Amino acid sequence: MGADHRVFLDATIPYLDAVWQVARQAAGDGQDPEDLVQETYLRAYAAFGSYRGGNPRAWLAAICLNVARSQARRRRRRPWEVPAPAVPDALPRPWAGCGEDAADVAEVVIAGLDAEQVSRCLALLPEPQRVCIVLMDVAGYTAKEAAETLGCPRGTVLARVHRGRRRLAQLLAQAGVSHGQP
Amino acid sequence: MDSHDRDHRLLAAFLAGDLDPAEARWWDEHLLECEACWRAVRENRAGRQAAQVLRQPAPPGLADRVTFAVEMAAAARTAAPQQARPGIRSRRPARLGRRLRWRLAGAGAVAAGLVVTLMVLLLPGGHQAGSVPAAVAAVTRYAQAIPPPTGGLHPQHTAPVEVGHPVTVTAGGQRIVLRTWRLGGAEAVVAVSGDPFPMPAQAQGVSGMGMAWSARVGRLGLYCLNGPTSELVAAPVPAAELVALAARLPLA
Repeated sequence: MGADHRVFLDATIPYLDAVWQVARQAAGDGQDPEDLVQETYLRAYAAFGSYRGGNPRAWLAAICLNVARSQARRRRRRPWEVPAPAVPDALPRPWAGCGEDAADVAEVVIAGLDAEQVSRCLALLPEPQRVCIVLMDVAGYTAKEAAETLGCPRGTVLARVHRGRRRLAQLLAQAGVSHGQP
Repeated sequence: MDSHDRDHRLLAAFLAGDLDPAEARWWDEHLLECEACWRAVRENRAGRQAAQVLRQPAPPGLADRVTFAVEMAAAARTAAPQQARPGIRSRRPARLGRRLRWRLAGAGAVAAGLVVTLMVLLLPGGHQAGSVPAAVAAVTRYAQAIPPPTGGLHPQHTAPVEVGHPVTVTAGGQRIVLRTWRLGGAEAVVAVSGDPFPMPAQAQGVSGMGMAWSARVGRLGLYCLNGPTSELVAAPVPAAELVALAARLPLA
């Protein structure tokens, strides 16, 4: 056994927690996030010989997302698809005045955060927005790292995460995070 | 791109600090007088705060699991690439009460003196000859970390204590759950699988136990009982002691 696996582990194990955050959100029904992390590292190790440097965190996240997608395809499931509920259509237009209800959204959301509820509402977002939020807000990636992971411009990531955060906040407010609120 | 898209992008860029000073100043002033845009900023912050609730630390055993899986993959590259590939973790096999079988198998093994030394060497770097099946090689490699026993034999009144976390790998297409147990001054790895552990070329079957075999790999004694749930015990102890040790360990 050569020493290359040691080099690989030294370069990538520090990012295990970030990969774990991504895997937890990317794993579809029936997928174990720990399995997904292990498979991510095995695929990354297999490809390490052709790895040309860059940001290892972004590289690992990209592999993790690809593994999750390919495994989901094999299971004939599509974990990153938006289910069909009409919630997005019911949301106010981003720039509409929206009256008094909309004015309370941010306060309501902050007051009643619940991880399970957040997870359910996050699942309702379109995939591009959801992935950007997972990378930046859950896993702690910078916009540049998220852009490198997804292969898109940084400005696109920022716009997606902005829309996604707003929609997430609105969904949470609509979904009853406001328990106990007047 | 309509005006809403453009505004979204500009506001997102403003919040990220990407705009030049003149544009940023315009947004600073605009937010003071535009309730809709200010609401968008507050929703952005609320959404970010909500998403951060989803952060959860990685499980404590995950780094060990990943490290071991990569080490196995590295070993498979150099030793038997066609056989070993760590992969997806298995579900834990159901526990079976099999101590009696182990005791019987152990008695047969000791009486017949059938434990033999394999001519397979695990080199310091981890190389092994190809005559050891990948699943067995995975277990022996994992058990290499076990220290030699201290304080003599394990006293009868001592209960086994699990050391560390279970590690699950797939080697040779076989899913294996590895646990390390300490019993008195001795430690052992118990590998459990839903598939039988292949018998290495130079191992020997245990007399009277059609699916049991024993072997020695370097300093490690191996003792296997195959069945609907198969168990393989590996420990750096003499053969006769391994049998007694195996009989007292939780095997599945």
